[in-house]
Amino acid sequence: MVAESYDAVVVGAGGDGPVAAWKLGEAGLSVLLLEAGPFYGNEQWPKPNEEPGGEASSSTADLSGDLLDEQFTTREFEMINKLLFGPADHERGFWFRKFPGDGAILQCAGVGGTTLHYTGCHPRAYPASIDEQGHWPIDYADLLPYYREVEELCEVTPAPITAKEELFFRGAARAGWEFIDDYNVTGPGYRPQPNAIRPPDAKLHVDAGHDGGFTYPEVRGDTLALGNIAGNPHPRGAPYEEKAKRASNVSFVPAALRTGNVTIRPNAFVTDVRTETALDDSPTATGVAFRDTWTGRTESVEAEVVILAAGAIETPRLWLNTDLPRNEWVGRGLTIHFGDNVMGLWDAADLEGILGKRTVDQHQGQDIAARFDYPGLGMLQTVGTGPGIGAILGFGASASGFAFQNDPDDAPWDTMGRLAGAELKRLLSDYRRMLQILVVSDDRPHKRNGVTVSEALPDEHGPIPLVNYEPSRGDRQRRDELAEIAAEILREAGAAHVHRSDSPPTALHVHSTMRMGKVVDETCEAYDVERLFVADHSALSNGVGGANPTNTGQALAARTADRILERYF
Amino acid sequence: MGTRGKLGQLVRWIDALWRAVSSLREVALETIGLGSDVDHHTEVTFRAVTDAVLPETPALGSEIGDEHVPGGLAIALDEFVVTYVDDGFQLGLPHVGPHGNIQLADPIAHALDFAALALCDRSENESEPSPDRPVSLLDPGEASPEAVRDAAGTFSKLSSKDRLRAISILDEFELSVTPGVDDLFEFDAGLVGQLVVGFTEMIYYSEWQGYDEFTQPPSERVHPNDPAAVQSWRQTGFPGFADGYAALRGYIGTDDGTLGDGETWTTIDSDAASPVRITRQPGSFRENEYDTSDYTEPYPE
Repeated sequence: MVAESYDAVVVGAGGDGPVAAWKLGEAGLSVLLLEAGPFYGNEQWPKPNEEPGGEASSSTADLSGDLLDEQFTTREFEMINKLLFGPADHERGFWFRKFPGDGAILQCAGVGGTTLHYTGCHPRAYPASIDEQGHWPIDYADLLPYYREVEELCEVTPAPITAKEELFFRGAARAGWEFIDDYNVTGPGYRPQPNAIRPPDAKLHVDAGHDGGFTYPEVRGDTLALGNIAGNPHPRGAPYEEKAKRASNVSFVPAALRTGNVTIRPNAFVTDVRTETALDDSPTATGVAFRDTWTGRTESVEAEVVILAAGAIETPRLWLNTDLPRNEWVGRGLTIHFGDNVMGLWDAADLEGILGKRTVDQHQGQDIAARFDYPGLGMLQTVGTGPGIGAILGFGASASGFAFQNDPDDAPWDTMGRLAGAELKRLLSDYRRMLQILVVSDDRPHKRNGVTVSEALPDEHGPIPLVNYEPSRGDRQRRDELAEIAAEILREAGAAHVHRSDSPPTALHVHSTMRMGKVVDETCEAYDVERLFVADHSALSNGVGGANPTNTGQALAARTADRILERYF
Repeated sequence: MGTRGKLGQLVRWIDALWRAVSSLREVALETIGLGSDVDHHTEVTFRAVTDAVLPETPALGSEIGDEHVPGGLAIALDEFVVTYVDDGFQLGLPHVGPHGNIQLADPIAHALDFAALALCDRSENESEPSPDRPVSLLDPGEASPEAVRDAAGTFSKLSSKDRLRAISILDEFELSVTPGVDDLFEFDAGLVGQLVVGFTEMIYYSEWQGYDEFTQPPSERVHPNDPAAVQSWRQTGFPGFADGYAALRGYIGTDDGTLGDGETWTTIDSDAASPVRITRQPGSFRENEYDTSDYTEPYPE
């Protein structure tokens, strides 16, 4: 049951909110964690997309691995529809968000948020992005103890190598790049992903002759069957907390519930932040109002502190839809790791010589397990996908039209642009001899980029976010150089054909719209509103150099929880 | 902005005009027994999309195998894309559509026609629009050729390549949708390209075709997960979804570093100062000292 008041209310149970809830709950505070989407794998909601189910959950006894197995089918199209940002009710569509051009924002709803379909990648920020780029008011060193705390709870380890990673590493080595074994990366090179996924059983080695099944307890840890983008319930049969991928719903949520002080209320979309203002003073946050997405009923709850953790799109949207003071940086400075996709295709005979088999088999292994770091530019990572997601990421979207309209000339790729028709079918017939590299660039915060709202475009929760993003010349140069490095690595790895998407701005990673130093102070409390904190990726002062942001967002949320305790409790 | 605004106005004007005309046409079609849930114009336009993005490709049969011949129309992909686009987004306006979803298929079809007209206007089409093309997209007996010609817009009359060219220029426009009497919203028409190309491709190459009925409640959906049961899986060689693979080769590392441990399975780089290998055990990342004082911006802002 949800009470009338709590010490802390956290808005959003995505990657970061549960971290703050766990830390505050451990310190003995009563915490309400509100989430707009459903709660998968919980006995209170046996059919979370079909029936309203229970009201709230406060106990790990509610968590069910069997339900997670049932609900997370790993079927790619179905899971994308389940996890993308929309109400729990399967009959209702996604919450519409306006984005420029043919770009897209990837937002998820549900307890676990975007970590439900992230690939477990947990690198730290590049130290230089915090200490040398001039955006952050704190030092990288301030985050180190929190990185370690997060890495321990998420069980971050070097990712396992299957054929596709070996192929990439061979290409990176032949292209002359160095191998890195550091946590704190200061120069370019290649290394395994630091992944928050339990390592696979040794019996899954290619030469161990495993002829059994892949269910728990016969195997423990990751089962090397992708599935992270589709929720990853592996190993099937495992209890909820024994699932291999340590997304926040499997790592921080049970830890938070175990404190006995945290209540999670899904299907609750927060629409207002309540404040009180004493004479001539700045406002003080006193609670929030939220709308039940099944019944449409609005409820409110009081709190000593309010913590916004709805993500870099929804947190500023919520702020702008309230009567909170207008700071010129609210919603501004959006970074999305302006990305691209570069694809390699191999001839079977060549693969035989390189890998000892005639296929790459991107559907085996972890989704993203190999990386190339380049502080100052960003990163590259190998991506294995099912053919549906692969088609939309690699071929279905481009900022430069269709491949037949482009002549790459002397570019390092053979084709560029969207693919359709016979060209697409011919290329995808080689799905098992293909490797995709995701280009993730270190785009910088620019004031013109970000989230606004328009009274003319409301949904049931108020005016919707209108997202604007136009990369700078520097952002494009960083991305282009990374795309060229990716093409060279693929060529060195023996690819017979290289294709570049020239993707439109697609936000897989979204950050820095409520930046520390601009909207929130060094404790992540809002400059203009007392007792109102931000604990999600929007508080990051920049895009952490292009490294996957989850680890840094979670580390910062953990640090913010400590500061809240120091300041108010 | 000015051009864009004018174009937006023009799109709205065409949209309004089209709605008036098409509702009259619907009445006419109803009277001759051709009415359906989905507007004929929308139906024909989405067939034209599917035929351009995922066509039947007889030439691929002799090149890479007969399984590569059928395209999206063979599995009624066009019908599902219309359903998906109509059910896919919502503004939560209670008076709009079923479940508050905003029905986008119809305005998207008109946006495609608008783009087709713009393409022809710029003389960037390679062949002349022909009313025979949309007729050829329907099976004999589905509807009379006259009815199809009546319903077809410019987009479906273009050649396949020209349809793709029309989709390409959509980024330049704003599209407005009027879901209810008082509601109007605009979005970049680039979203149209994302939906009709990106989503069409994702749905086709995903597991979608294997369901008895995807629109059923999730707990009642049945999927055979048989690689032979999904046309696109037969074309890509995707073996279906698996619980696991014995695909582990090991962990990458060096003798001098902290990553990688145990017996070597293969060597990645024997020329490195400390050879890079794939070994049996993972080792761990190094909690290294870091110094960023010599950091330089490759591309200063």
